[in-house]
Amino acid sequence: MLSRLSSVQHLRVNINSFSSVIEIGDSTFVNSFSRALAVQREEEFFYGSEGNYNYPVFKEPIRIPPLIENVRINRQNINPVINVSCIRVIGNAAASVIHIGSTCHIHLESRIKHIRQLRERENTQT
Amino acid sequence: MEYHVYNRELCVGTIKVTGVASSSMILVGDTETIQLSSTFDTPAESLIIGPFVPITPQG
Repeated sequence: MLSRLSSVQHLRVNINSFSSVIEIGDSTFVNSFSRALAVQREEEFFYGSEGNYNYPVFKEPIRIPPLIENVRINRQNINPVINVSCIRVIGNAAASVIHIGSTCHIHLESRIKHIRQLRERENTQT
Repeated sequence: MEYHVYNRELCVGTIKVTGVASSSMILVGDTETIQLSSTFDTPAESLIIGPFVPITPQG
């Protein structure tokens, strides 16, 4: 039985950054991992080499619900074509994937640690 | 559980997306299993008010 066929007329992507992928064609496994330190500072200070990944958010396991039901999938591709006339993406970032074509297994994981540094406030209540 | 899928023609006009970020995906096609997971934390101690101290570098 034919597997699915994806046909895209126009694909326009402006930015493809930070280890992200544009895949045109079939694949078997898609596996991507992203970890980021998101630091927001009230003033523009750049110390060069700073930051580490020793925070618990980068180590803790992400619990994924187990598949317990026994599902038998019977798939019939009577007309296997997927037609898309135009795809327009402005940004593809942080280990993301634009995939045109079929695949079997997809596993994507992202871990972000947010840090906010604000200036001291003068207490105005006098 | 029995699950029957009859795929006929699928036509989409235009897809406009602003951003595909932090391990997310646009898939035009078929797949068997999809596992997307994301975690982030902003606990109280992530908010630092006071002089700007650089974050301790790696190792």
